[in-house]
This record gives sequence, structure tokens and C-alpha cells, in this order.
Amino acid sequence: MFDLVLQSVASGVVTGCVYALIALSMVIVYKSTDVINFAGGEIVMVGGYLGLLGLSYLKLPYTLVFLFGAIITFTLGALFDRVVLTKVLGRAVPGQSIMVAMVIATVGLSYVLKGTVRLFPYAEDVRRLPPFIAGDPVFMGAIVLQRQDIAIVAISTLAMLALWAFFSRTMTGKALRATSQNARAAALIGIPVRHMRMAVWGIASALAAVAGILLASKLAMTPDMGVIVILAFAAAAIGGFSSLPGCIVGGIILGVMQNLVGLFLSSRAISVAPFLVIMLILTLRPQGLFGGPVVDKKV
Amino acid sequence: MYGTPRLSRLAPLLALILLGFVLPLLLPQYFLFIGNLLMMYAVLAIGLDLLLGWAGQFAFAHIAFFGVGAYATVLLQTRLGLPFVAAMPLSAALAGLVGMLIAIPAARLRAVYLALATFAFAEGAQWVFNAWDGVTGGADGLRIKAPELFGYAMGTDPRAFPFMAVVLAFVIAGTMYLTSSRLGRAFCAIRDSEHAAAASGIDVRRTKILVFAISAAYAGIAGGLFTTFQSFMNPDSFGFTQIVLVLSMVVIGGMGTLPGALLGAVILGLLPELMRTTMHSLLIWQELVYGLILILAMMYMPRGLWGTFVRRRAGA
Repeated sequence: MFDLVLQSVASGVVTGCVYALIALSMVIVYKSTDVINFAGGEIVMVGGYLGLLGLSYLKLPYTLVFLFGAIITFTLGALFDRVVLTKVLGRAVPGQSIMVAMVIATVGLSYVLKGTVRLFPYAEDVRRLPPFIAGDPVFMGAIVLQRQDIAIVAISTLAMLALWAFFSRTMTGKALRATSQNARAAALIGIPVRHMRMAVWGIASALAAVAGILLASKLAMTPDMGVIVILAFAAAAIGGFSSLPGCIVGGIILGVMQNLVGLFLSSRAISVAPFLVIMLILTLRPQGLFGGPVVDKKV
Repeated sequence: MYGTPRLSRLAPLLALILLGFVLPLLLPQYFLFIGNLLMMYAVLAIGLDLLLGWAGQFAFAHIAFFGVGAYATVLLQTRLGLPFVAAMPLSAALAGLVGMLIAIPAARLRAVYLALATFAFAEGAQWVFNAWDGVTGGADGLRIKAPELFGYAMGTDPRAFPFMAVVLAFVIAGTMYLTSSRLGRAFCAIRDSEHAAAASGIDVRRTKILVFAISAAYAGIAGGLFTTFQSFMNPDSFGFTQIVLVLSMVVIGGMGTLPGALLGAVILGLLPELMRTTMHSLLIWQELVYGLILILAMMYMPRGLWGTFVRRRAGA
């Protein structure tokens, strides 16, 4: 029994890493633009299908597939911000929360993405990407891990490290952080805020696409796989929607929890777990498990 | 805007009731079905608008209360043997109560947190409709027994139509009184600034809980209406797509205005039907077109159709 628990924890960590990537993409967008991206799950889905396109039609090697997916979704995200969100923001009506309009615009994007993917006939069948590393599973004590799973954890960790290095070591990354802390002050010291917003949307979308390609080798792909976003919301809520390390931990907690709930309660309860997590965390500790008190942005 | 609405403003409602009784004699059944659908959506949209447009609370749970209302109306009749005339108001009250219970913790939350918590609640509620199959019939759904109102059997479109029109007329009239009352002005005050509202003596927390409960009760009424002309329901009728539909009715119609919510309900309620009937070959484009409409409406009509119309007229 103990081995079984250990095994489900291990495979929970694997899926949890992917959830964490999606959650990171939501949180960096939310932190710097105050928008909850309801199209996040659909960008993950598009990432998966771009992976399929790259692998089976363009015959790219797997490393290039990640790059291919990331570049296209980066452009997509940046353009969405530039073309749509800038316009929505520019037309804010005094006395009305701009958030509603922004959120509906992202919901619109999610329908557009789903609708576009459905136009291609090969989206009708359920697909799955081939594993990127073949070979025998690895035995670690009582745990059996597919090489694929190890690669998923490695790539997610790499992506997270790259993100961390970008935000803390590069000038652009620091400018982005400044923008998300206080856009007006950032504009005053000469940071091109508008470009920063585009960059954040681009990076977040690329991150989601990488998560999508990773996920598509584990789960079956359908145009509706974007519902996975609820798990990212839950992971982000654990991190208080503001802490990046918090949402990585949140993602892993969720992945592990899902497996344990499936093991001990029932497979039916798996799908309700993330909603319960969100509601409990938001009502009991809206700042997340690790965050400080909630502060209203005043400027 | 303040005080009680003048009686002349209620006159169109008499026309609505009159049409409710005359149109079933004139129109074919399909048009009556569309009419029923639109009237149900109108009640839903008006209820959401109270919360979103008037009180400025961005919540996603509306469709869950709609589901509670619909399931409760049917179950109170079949399981407890209550007559429809008692089951429907009770279900609306139940939906309002659930809304109040959600609001008690949710009233502390703002903006993104409120949206997420209520989104999670709505998804959770749909899960319950699915999983509690001993009561709700689960994914297989529930057959709706034709409700009877003092011996007047409904359950078909022409029979339900007059009832829908009467209920909608009362809902609109009630909303007119509510929004011009002291409470309705308190909603606006909270939307504009919670701090200012609190400073002028409004109990913000209590008012928020009230508006949640009232809005949920509207959704519960719409749920009851659903059972008068549909013969079957399953959890899919209360999913995320429906939330987005009602939300976009309110926002595209024009938030915080009664005509806006009605206009939005009519236009966005007709859209799927139009696409289904006139553009059958384009069915595959439906999702794409709908998404584009949402995006373009947010880009070019931030005030919604009605708000844009009012501004044009005022400017000309």
C-alpha cells in the first residue's frame, strides 16, 4: 500500500509540474496586467496541436517543436494584447470595472481558438503526441518512472528556472517586474509599459504552449482540453495569485492531491477537488497559503 | 431614476402581457419556443445585471442558481408532491438562500478572487448535478413532468407562453421598483466606491449579501420558467457555456440598464438559433464567430448596445 501511495505521489509530481507551468502563465499575466486569462487553457490546447503539426506534418525534431510552438504562441499572445486588450483598456468606461470587459475578451479568445482548431479535420479524432524519450522505465526504489515523466519534470524545471533567471537577472525582466508593481511609476522612469504588457502576454502564452506539448504526450488531445485551466486556477489560488514559487508548489500539491484523492476516495471525486481547493483557499486565506495580506492596488 | 417609477413606464408591460396571451393564437410553435427561451434568458440576464451592472460584483455563479431553481422546481413536485404554484416560488427562495450562503464568505472577496471563487462554485454545482444521480438523474438527465397551474397544464410552448410573459412582466416591474429604491441606490453606491458607500452609512457587507440573494432568486425564477416549456434537462444545461452566454447578454446589451439586459437577452439568445437554422452549413464556424463577436463587442462597444444607443441619441 505504501508503495502505491509513493507511486501516486511521484506521478502526481509529474502532472503537477505541468499544472505549475500553466499556473505560472496565468499568474504572470494577472500580476502585470490585472487580467485573469480565461483563454489560458485554450492556449495550452493550441500548444499541443502546434506540437502535433510540427511533429507529424513538418517533421521537426522534438527540440524544435517546443521552439516552434513557443514562437507561434508568443506572437499570438503578444498580438492579442496589442490588438484587443489595448483597445479594450483604452475604452474603459468610468465607473465600470474594466475587469469584466477584459475577462470577456479573453473568453472570446478562448472560443476563437477552440473554433479555429475545430476547423481542421484532424482535430476530430482524439490524438496524442509520441513520447519524446523512448526506453525502459526507470526504477527508483519502489517507484517506477517512465523516462518520459522524468523528461517532463526536467523540462518544466528548466522552463521555471529560465523564467526565474529572466525576471531576476535581465533588464527586461526587471522592467517587467517594475511594470507589474506599479505601471504608472514604471512609465515615469521610462519603461515602455505597453511593450512590457505585450512581452508578458507573449511569454505567458509561450509557457502555456510548452505545457501543452508536455501534456499532449501524457493526455489525449481534444479541442476541449482547455478545461484543464481549472487546475491551474487552483494552483494559482494556492499561491495567492501573486507568488510565483507559491504557484509552483500549488501545482505540485494539486497533482499529488488528485492522485491521492483518486487512490483513497474515488475517481469521481478527482474532478471536484480543484473547485473545493479554490473555494476553501479563497474564503479562508485569499492571500494563498504563502502570501502576505492582500493589498489593494491604489495607483 | 429615483423614487417610484411612474405608472406610464409600466404601460409596455401591459402590452407584454397582452402579447403573451395573443401571440400563441397567431404564431407557429417554433417561434413560441424561441419566445419562451428569450423570456427565460431575459429573467436570467436581468438577475445577473443586478449583481454585475448595478452592484458591480463580478461573479460567475449565476447559472448554478439557475440550475438549483430548475432542479428544485421539478423535484419538489415529483418527490414531495407539491403543486407547481408552491414549488416554483419555493425553488426561487431556495436559490436565493443558496446565493446568500455563498455571499456570506464571498462578500469579503474582491475582483479576481470573487470571480474565481464563484466560478469554482458554479463548476462544483454542476459536478453535484452530475454526481448526485439518485436525485438529479445525473448525466442521463431528468424528465420534466408538465407543470400544472390551477388546472392549467403547461409543458408545451403555446401553453407556457402566457405564463412566461406574465412572470417576465412582474420581474421587470419588480426590478424597476427595486433599482429606484433606497436599496437599489445602495447597490450603485457600492459599485462606484465601497469606501464612499460605507462612509455614507451603507452597510456594505449586508447590501452585498442581499444583492447576491436577490440576484440568485431571479436565477431561481428563471429555473422555474425553464421547467414550464422544456421537457428534459441535464447538467449540460447549467455549464460554463451558459454562464458565458448570460454574461455576454448583460455586457453586450449594456450593464446596469434594464433595456440593455433585455436587448442583450434577445440578441444573444437569437444568435445560436439563427446560426442553427439559417447558416446550417456554417455550423462549424459557430464557436469562432461567437468568440469574435465577444472580442469585437468589448473592443468597440464598451458600454454595450444600449449604452452606445443612448449616447448616440444624447449626442445627436
